[in-house]
Amino acid sequence: MKEPRSITLVRHAVLLVFVAVSLYPVLNVVSISLRPGNRLRSTDLAIIPADWTVASYVQLFTEQPFLTWLWNSLVVSGLVTLTGVALASTAGYAFSRFRFIGRKATMLAILTTQMFPATMLLLPLYILIARLGLVNTWLGLMIFYTATALPFCVWQMKGFYDTIPPSLEEAARIDGCSRAGAFRHVVLPLATPGLVITALFSFMTAWSEYIVAAQVMQDEAMFTLPLGIKSFQASLSSQWGLYAAASILVSIPVVAVFLALSRYLVNGLTLGSVKE
Amino acid sequence: MQMLSARWLAFAAVALAVGCSSRDDRLTITIWHQSRPAERELLAEEIARYEAEHPGVRIRALYKETEELRSGFQAAALAGAGPELVYGPSDVLDTFHTMGIIRDLGPWVPEAERDDFVTGALTFLPARDDRSRRDLVQVGDRFGNHLALVYNRRLVPEPPRTTAELVAIARDCTVDGDGDGRSDQYGLVWNFTEPFFAVPFLTGFGGWVFREPESTPPTPGLDSPAMAAALGFIRDLREVHRVAPANCDYELADSLFKTGRAAMIINGDWSWSDYLAIPEIDAAVAVLPVVDETSAPMRPMVAPKGYSLNANATGPAADVAMDFVRHVTGDEAQRRLVNRLRMLPARRSAWEDPVFAADPTLAASRAQLENGRLMPVATELRAVWDGMRPSYQALLGGGLAPDAAAARMQTDAERFIDAMHRQLEPGIAVPILQALGALFLAALLVWQWPTFLALLRDLRPNRTAYGFAAPAVVLVFAVIVFPFFSNLVLSLSDMSLTRFRNWRVVGLQNYAEVLSDPRLWGLTGVFMKTLVWTAVNVACHVSIGVLLAVALNGPVRCKALYRLLLIIPWAVPAYITALTWRGMFDYEYGAVNLLLGRWLGLAPVNWLGEPLRAFEACILTNVWLGYPFMMVIALGGMQGIPQELYEAARIDRASRWQQFRHITLPLLKPVLLPAITLGAIWTFNNLNVVWLVSNGGEPQDSTHILVSYVYKSVFNLYRYGYGAALSTVMFLILLAFSLVFLQRSQATESVYR
Repeated sequence: MKEPRSITLVRHAVLLVFVAVSLYPVLNVVSISLRPGNRLRSTDLAIIPADWTVASYVQLFTEQPFLTWLWNSLVVSGLVTLTGVALASTAGYAFSRFRFIGRKATMLAILTTQMFPATMLLLPLYILIARLGLVNTWLGLMIFYTATALPFCVWQMKGFYDTIPPSLEEAARIDGCSRAGAFRHVVLPLATPGLVITALFSFMTAWSEYIVAAQVMQDEAMFTLPLGIKSFQASLSSQWGLYAAASILVSIPVVAVFLALSRYLVNGLTLGSVKE
Repeated sequence: MQMLSARWLAFAAVALAVGCSSRDDRLTITIWHQSRPAERELLAEEIARYEAEHPGVRIRALYKETEELRSGFQAAALAGAGPELVYGPSDVLDTFHTMGIIRDLGPWVPEAERDDFVTGALTFLPARDDRSRRDLVQVGDRFGNHLALVYNRRLVPEPPRTTAELVAIARDCTVDGDGDGRSDQYGLVWNFTEPFFAVPFLTGFGGWVFREPESTPPTPGLDSPAMAAALGFIRDLREVHRVAPANCDYELADSLFKTGRAAMIINGDWSWSDYLAIPEIDAAVAVLPVVDETSAPMRPMVAPKGYSLNANATGPAADVAMDFVRHVTGDEAQRRLVNRLRMLPARRSAWEDPVFAADPTLAASRAQLENGRLMPVATELRAVWDGMRPSYQALLGGGLAPDAAAARMQTDAERFIDAMHRQLEPGIAVPILQALGALFLAALLVWQWPTFLALLRDLRPNRTAYGFAAPAVVLVFAVIVFPFFSNLVLSLSDMSLTRFRNWRVVGLQNYAEVLSDPRLWGLTGVFMKTLVWTAVNVACHVSIGVLLAVALNGPVRCKALYRLLLIIPWAVPAYITALTWRGMFDYEYGAVNLLLGRWLGLAPVNWLGEPLRAFEACILTNVWLGYPFMMVIALGGMQGIPQELYEAARIDRASRWQQFRHITLPLLKPVLLPAITLGAIWTFNNLNVVWLVSNGGEPQDSTHILVSYVYKSVFNLYRYGYGAALSTVMFLILLAFSLVFLQRSQATESVYR
């Protein structure tokens, strides 16, 4: 498919402008991480400060339990992603393909769980966690993160299934496939971009959350990354160098996950390749 | 089903807890503390020392940031749990004590030992049940938090002793080297945004935050002539003498001084060691100068820091916890504190340590502490700060004269104190309320009974559908059901500062107050702002996201690289990027103004100082944070659009716009709708951006959206019932929006049916 040159130029112009806008503030974070002496602000626009140092990065690995936090976060986020994808792909399918009593009401109801400001739920949430004996456990965190991510994931999967013509499954079933078989072999592969978004979203929910984590986790050895990073912040005496360095490092796994998944986001089976 | 899942959860939790717990039968004491990094090391050492002496004890120290410690401890204590000890400055003690969540330490600190402590190190408050008795609510281990003058000896050889000298030196040190009309070096900087930093000026002119003599409860004394004089002096420093930047928050002041671009800074003891460690600036600490008009010294507020005991801590745990407190306030530990941290100890004997004579900074700190004023331990102080902040900022923004600002501070503080102490009397009798609730449920049941029966009949034939949907749905509801109903009950209650543990259901007063608040519902009120905030943000997220996806969805080189770079705003934690944006919006040094000036020749915009501009700054930041997510979703959605449709359209000579309008958009709709709906809900409830970019609603509490308003009115004034009612109202607004939006957009329907 050939495009006129002008269109290609416009594409690149738009993309370049937004890449610049996306990167500049993050380069500022890099700049903070390279500054000595805990300076959040700078009076010039230089990205690499004149007195730059990688001391903050070194300190993260040598003096702070950064790797422990990283491992904890990877475990929690990984498990939440798996559960989230499994539960959302099935529930989304039910909401998309079946017409059952209470379908609309339930779909709306799971949305309502997102409608309360999280800070207001702090108190009852803590009481719940304490009563269920989930203080200081991974399970406590995972349940809350999965439940937080699910409403969006279920809706998202439902939206993706909606774009797949039911005739494809019907054809498979005529060919002798069971309902579950048609779901696994026909629908799921076509919904790959949805699964990728669901996975990415579940991962990010668990990866960046800290309000609930601060309530659940009572041992520094069990901290997740956001909790660890927050401990560099103190009123009026934050360790900005460490804070910025850790923030940059924290985003690398996210980028890696995205890199691994984006293959499917773009080159997933498209309907165009399936002959109806 | 929900009962079942709760039981299962409990079972699984126990299994996991048993499986994970190490074989450690020591008695565990938990401390939540607000120590700064260097202080944490010393605390860890003291804990190790104590544990070595007491093999049966394990002490677990957990750092919590100020607000986190306060709200977290309140929640934990209410749930009957929480750490045995909390460590922090004395300012929250009255709140904890009024709520009944900390114990009287009297039994552990005998009268005879109390004289070993410096005056003010032990904090007493009148007992809750018997005002004639005094409870010991905190045992301090150090003093501090006092401001002093730090000066750069390369620029200022001798520190000023009077305000006239201060002004003269500051004027000499304010330099515009390149003659561009902007100063390259300032004479005096400090944090303009916090009234705490204005207190030395106030005391220097003979005023105080409370009326004197102090009564119980104290009343604010902000409308004094001394306050007007102090505010006038501060304004002149900036506007007449021009020795300080136009806008200056804590971080800017700090960075200016650290890089040698400010000759003097007013800052607290926590910051000094950082300054002294920078060789380029040769910093030294001096006592704040004497005000010429009154011949009185500028006196900063001073507060002890120390340990308090959770009301839930009893038996051996309480005894061991207090034994640890005795250890850290003992003579040896106190001398280590002075020598290692250069902090002022609570124990009298440690003041005789030779280090005081040897260290000029410690000597200056001590001198400043001795002419400081003890911070009042009163919940009302928080209302005073909240009352001062908007008018103080308005004064610095040039919108308010000193005496008018002082008068408004007073009325605002009084209003906040009223709100904080408001007692709700039971309105509608509780039985009536219960009856109404039961009636409502009964009506709902009768109305929905046929549906329920149909549901039962439907279970068997549609079991695949229910089986597929159930796990996700049950999990989501298991987590939200309890918080949902508890919020509903709290919204009908009088839970507040004075009725924290013994709250009762009082009726609909909270809702009446929420619905009649003109600040919320007026044309320029918080609600309208929230609508604008949500609409603009979501519209920008979606249009930029789709635009980028369209740009990427074609034969573009380096597609993968572009895609990767474009999601970066989503990948980096918003906490730090939002703060970076705040820096970029700085009036004088921010990238936004510098670029606007350089490329477009525009005059600098006072982004963070003017109400509307600050709101725009928040929106810009949030747009930046949100478009990558929408782009990813749009990209995913575009993969599901059959290419044949475009080919057919090209054969029909449809333009690119027509293809986008009639193929791309309609087929993206089912995929984008959930993201738009939830995006709107999340944006509506997004606290962080407003909080971080505009520093909690600044200037003058003008950038609040509903959620930050709730946060401020609840957590600052402890009005939990009111906050719960407001969040229920917000919930209903979002519910109504979702119902209408989903109905209109047919989101629950499928394109192929």
